[in-house]
Amino acid sequence: MPGDLPLAGVRVVDLGWITAGAASSTLLLDMGADVVKVEGPGAPDSFRNWDGAEPGTDWWNRSPFFNFTNRGKRALCIDLKDPRGREAVLRLLDGADVLVENFRRGVMASFGLAPAMLRERFPRLVIASISSQGETGPDRDMVSFGSTLEATAGLAALTGAGEAPVITGRDVNYPDQVVCLFAAGAIIAALLERDRTGQGAHLDLSQRELTSFLLGEEIIAAAAGAPSPRRGNRDPAEPGERLERNGEAWRVTFPGGSAPVRDGVALAAAADFLRGTAVLRSPDGTPAKGIPFRFTHRALSVTDVCHPLGADNRAVMAEAGYTEQEIAALEAAGVLATVPRGG
Amino acid sequence: MAGPAPLAGRRILDLGAFCAQRPHALAASMCARLCAGYGAKVVRPVPATGEPFARDEPLLRDGTSALDRFLNAGKQAGTATGRFDAAIGDRGALGEHAATAPVKVRISVFGPDEPDPPMTELGLAALAGLLGIVGEPMPAPPSRLAGHQVAYSAGVAACTALLAALRAGGEETADVSLLDVTAWLNWKVAAGVIVTGRAPTREAERVAWFTLPAKDGHMALVHQDKDWPNFRAVIGDPRLESDPRLATHPLRTANRAALLEVIGPWFAAHTRAEITAAMQARRVPLGPVTWPTELLEDAQYRARDFLGADGMPALPVGWDGQRLTLEAAHAG
Repeated sequence: MPGDLPLAGVRVVDLGWITAGAASSTLLLDMGADVVKVEGPGAPDSFRNWDGAEPGTDWWNRSPFFNFTNRGKRALCIDLKDPRGREAVLRLLDGADVLVENFRRGVMASFGLAPAMLRERFPRLVIASISSQGETGPDRDMVSFGSTLEATAGLAALTGAGEAPVITGRDVNYPDQVVCLFAAGAIIAALLERDRTGQGAHLDLSQRELTSFLLGEEIIAAAAGAPSPRRGNRDPAEPGERLERNGEAWRVTFPGGSAPVRDGVALAAAADFLRGTAVLRSPDGTPAKGIPFRFTHRALSVTDVCHPLGADNRAVMAEAGYTEQEIAALEAAGVLATVPRGG
Repeated sequence: MAGPAPLAGRRILDLGAFCAQRPHALAASMCARLCAGYGAKVVRPVPATGEPFARDEPLLRDGTSALDRFLNAGKQAGTATGRFDAAIGDRGALGEHAATAPVKVRISVFGPDEPDPPMTELGLAALAGLLGIVGEPMPAPPSRLAGHQVAYSAGVAACTALLAALRAGGEETADVSLLDVTAWLNWKVAAGVIVTGRAPTREAERVAWFTLPAKDGHMALVHQDKDWPNFRAVIGDPRLESDPRLATHPLRTANRAALLEVIGPWFAAHTRAEITAAMQARRVPLGPVTWPTELLEDAQYRARDFLGADGMPALPVGWDGQRLTLEAAHAG
């Protein structure tokens, strides 16, 4: 219908963690999908751990970065290691269109939720597995953070203003961020393909491959025997561009303009940033992960706050066909929870 | 039997060659490149002056451009006439060449209702705080990410918006601001001040991850406090346990020179492969700094059929174990 958001009616089960998985699902939410974030009482999203957590409080519901990233999702807290928890997730998937996960490879299988089995059991389901290296290959189990992948994908070798290659570090972890933009698109592409063929898909999204893809011209040049050197801050296509230092401050100048090298304080105060969509506000005023584009005919916005852990247990389970008594029994058994174990 | 092709039958107009500014042109061209990867018929008209990337670095030995080869793979030369399902460009190009396309994806510096001043990718990274947070600790200069990460990220976002608009049906214009996308990527800096009252900066006390020389190149030293006992065990130098300057993660970060004094010679004496194997065996997330030339021989990429013999990367998604195939066409 005109005015409906693009993903209205799409149901997403979100087993995404930290950024790569969780923020991909958030982008689907922002385009109209219903997203149920599933966490275990023994294994909540580790973004819930934060420096300011105070014992004796519900610290797990107060993590600024978790709440920033996961605002608006319905919250189911269920023990996937318990057969009853697994069964509930399977019932949830029966009514779902998309599953997003970025566990370490092999963890889904350890829950009895191997993608190949899910693909067979739910032929219309789009399963997005986001990982460092991909589902297959000799390095599939390699451990890494985003910055490790910058190194192994070719980005670090070509990055750096000094003698050493440079990685972005823990404040950026570029592959973890950019994969969300790509994964959300791949999932929508898979929904379009399902519209064409009736078939879901298992999408195997390697963050390392995406990082190399975004250097495609450099790999082609290398294959042709013309590899690029590390160019520092120089862009050969912008010969008039300079990075200049004035005391503590740096500035980029180029024909027709210039730009200050901002830190976070300057960015947060900048009018162009405040008018933009990179960081938005939840209805309660708390900062919320923004939306990286806008639509003219279908306004995208942050419409809901972050739900506390397990806040939607009853509603989600009822929708999956569980009776009041069954839900109460799972609560009593600790399969459903609203508090992390040890919390 | 053809493989998956979610945009089969869709015609996409790539106005990257008509964008007035280079970041917009790169972003639009990347968006259209991804559409081609998803099976769309992508038409890329060029102005009378020719393909704007035709002479851009990296250059091949015959003087042609690897940038052109990469970004325009799978696209067809043609004109802006006829029916298109979607068009991608900047405000001017869309206004002039794509009045009838139901879906438009419009690239700008700041957004739909703002002026579009002269801008470069380095300028955008500077404004979004991404330039300032990357690099060796201050006072060293900041470092731009190699290649065209700012414009390409916006192109990836633009493709996601385009796919969503096609699925929604009807008329839609998606606006993609280069600044918004870059700041969105850089959210820990952008939101740090707002969320926590602190913004991370490139202070020596903060830059915990860096690269250091090994026998045959560099390694990326990436680790958390919990990895330290395993890291220490691999290196096997008692000073890593006894030196008070190295007792905690913040201390090791602040005292990088003292840390390097101990671990530097060990790294310099071992190859990247030896170090990676030893660290990964203990689940420490170090990785080798790998050059594009080396990626061509990479066992993981080979096993996954990711790179063609000419270095052309596949669309970075496995689809039920298959790669999506790009049409052999090339615009220009």
